[in-house]
Amino acid sequence: MDKNTKLIQKTALPDALAALLPDYRVFAPAGENERLAFTRIDAQNAFALCLSGTPLMPPKELLFPRSETLYGTDIKTGDVSLPQTAGPTAVFGVRPCDAHGIANLDCAFLEKGYVDSAYAARREALTLIVLACAQIPYETCFCDSMGGGPAGSEGADVLLTETEDGSALVAAFLTGKGRAVKALWAAAGLLSDTGADATTKSANPAKAPPPCNLRISKDKGLAAKIAAAFDDPMWARFSEACLGCGTCSFVCPTCYCFDLDSENRGGTAEEFRCWDCCMFSDYSRMAGGHNPRPTKKERLRNRYLHKLAYFDERYGRTLCVGCGRCIGKCPAGLDIAAVIEWGGTL
Amino acid sequence: MTNGQKQQLIRDRAAALLADGAVSCIVGWRQTRFAGKTAVCFVRAPEDATLLVWNEYTIPLTAKYLADERWTGGKAGILARGCDSKAINRLLRDNQLEREKLYIVGLPCEGKADERCRPCRQKTPLVYDELLWEEDSAADGGGTSAADADAPGRGRFFRADEVSALGIDARYDYWEDVYARCIRCYACRNACPVCSCRECYVDMHRAGFQSKRQNAADNRVFGVTRAFHVGDRCIECGECERVCPMGLPILGQTQKVIQTAEALAGAPYEAGLNAEDENFLGKFDLDDKDAFM
Ligand code: SF4
Ligand code: SF4
Ligand code: SF4
Ligand code: SF4
Repeated sequence: MDKNTKLIQKTALPDALAALLPDYRVFAPAGENERLAFTRIDAQNAFALCLSGTPLMPPKELLFPRSETLYGTDIKTGDVSLPQTAGPTAVFGVRPCDAHGIANLDCAFLEKGYVDSAYAARREALTLIVLACAQIPYETCFCDSMGGGPAGSEGADVLLTETEDGSALVAAFLTGKGRAVKALWAAAGLLSDTGADATTKSANPAKAPPPCNLRISKDKGLAAKIAAAFDDPMWARFSEACLGCGTCSFVCPTCYCFDLDSENRGGTAEEFRCWDCCMFSDYSRMAGGHNPRPTKKERLRNRYLHKLAYFDERYGRTLCVGCGRCIGKCPAGLDIAAVIEWGGTL
Repeated sequence: MTNGQKQQLIRDRAAALLADGAVSCIVGWRQTRFAGKTAVCFVRAPEDATLLVWNEYTIPLTAKYLADERWTGGKAGILARGCDSKAINRLLRDNQLEREKLYIVGLPCEGKADERCRPCRQKTPLVYDELLWEEDSAADGGGTSAADADAPGRGRFFRADEVSALGIDARYDYWEDVYARCIRCYACRNACPVCSCRECYVDMHRAGFQSKRQNAADNRVFGVTRAFHVGDRCIECGECERVCPMGLPILGQTQKVIQTAEALAGAPYEAGLNAEDENFLGKFDLDDKDAFM
């Protein structure tokens, strides 16, 4: 019997979140329809936990906020103030694709000799309680074509997988952070043994997840092939209908571009950073006005090549986890899965 | 005529226009790999005309793309419904297009599977070079019907009416909630056929008009500015709201501007009915009694 694999009843989930409250800021998916979002849970707020869908806005905001003040300078005194760090945070109900996305963000913000201290502090304090997809929530999901899957464990501290009858979750506590959660849940009497015999896999009561509906074949040589197609006329075709908005980047769990700026607010000069997007015309505009990516063709090519080639060259990973959000929400019907398939045929 | 028959007419006509060299391209709709979702596409060869589709989901505006950087040369063929034709009129009025460079294939519309089409009053195009079929007034594509266009909450300004029905404090909360959820992706701006500035004020953030910070206060600056900037040119197509990834009810903003203008003027107002009418917020009179300039 694996001591780090336990069973928790679905009906016990509100108690499981409550058990975390003394030690963590707790976030979980709550809200209906387009209001479904990772929401701060506290003892007072009654919430309807959502176990079926996943929020449109991925949990990356907990690590990489839409806007954050980096430091402020009092204009009169010159005193510099730094923002407070938020402390231990647990996020429940993250889907495997989004946890995989965070593992990608870690490369960009923590690796290759560059450590982003604001990100690092929040990452250190973050525990990811991942909920495997017992049903495929969206027709655009294609995580199992992108090296992950509906029950993928990458980036997870705790992985929760539904049992065969759907009444309970098998909880695998995978990391030190995960075992800290286990201790709190065990102390609250919420865990029981799975009854599975570790020697025979078949007795594991966790249900195998279904495959995604959208399946593509991602070529092993994709990064090199697609990078070599920099001048291919298809980029103009792909970008024809693109409106150049920020939707695809802002809903993406792995896009991480930001802008730095400063503003005078209430006697304080604030240096802040905020999300930016390579599909915007001002993103690549230089001082003096020259824009090396003058039209949407160059911008769209950059977004795809960053995801499918450049990031892979630098970190050995594709910067797309197949969550399908950009496909579902693009107002012009652009489809990164189609671009990945095309890249494989080159 | 069924949608299937209309689709065949479109494909045949597009292929013929391309084969003749009458147009360099046809802007229309294609099917995506997901049922119920079409996207705008550009057909350049007669044999590709079979990509074109026409059904209750051919919703995105084709006209938006005419103002794009691509149309500096060649004659563009465009499939246009009533809303697209109003957009073309607005773009012509604003000197964003040259009529001679367009070949407009008019497609009288049945109404699409989108509640924003329900109150549409201009299903037959207002400007075109040819109409492919006559409007069928009994047609009811995708659950829209002229019959209930004037029913409470379902009329021309249905989204604005939702907000007007609230008390004053609740209205404030309504918009604060919208701005708190907006992610400032600017899809609403970019999809809007009358948003045609070469450079938008929000992209000039060094000028200090619009902070790049994403928060309710700065989102509100954008939302209110957009509503006033396009309100009097809004053709009421609902694209802004359709493309909003956060599902925000922003069509109510421009509807409210039009509704208010009609009430103040005591006269009907609808943008894009022709290529000559002035938009009321853009109008000025050198003999104005107020010395404002
Ligand atoms: S690909 Fe789609 S979502 Fe992305 S910028 Fe273009 S229109 Fe917007
Ligand atoms: S590129 Fe699209 S599918 Fe890939 S991770 Fe980002 S939002 Fe998801
Ligand atoms: S992409 Fe995969 S992990 Fe993500 S929500 Fe869809 S099925 Fe679940
Ligand atoms: S489309 Fe929606 S989320 Fe995007 S900027 Fe407009 S209102 Fe905000």
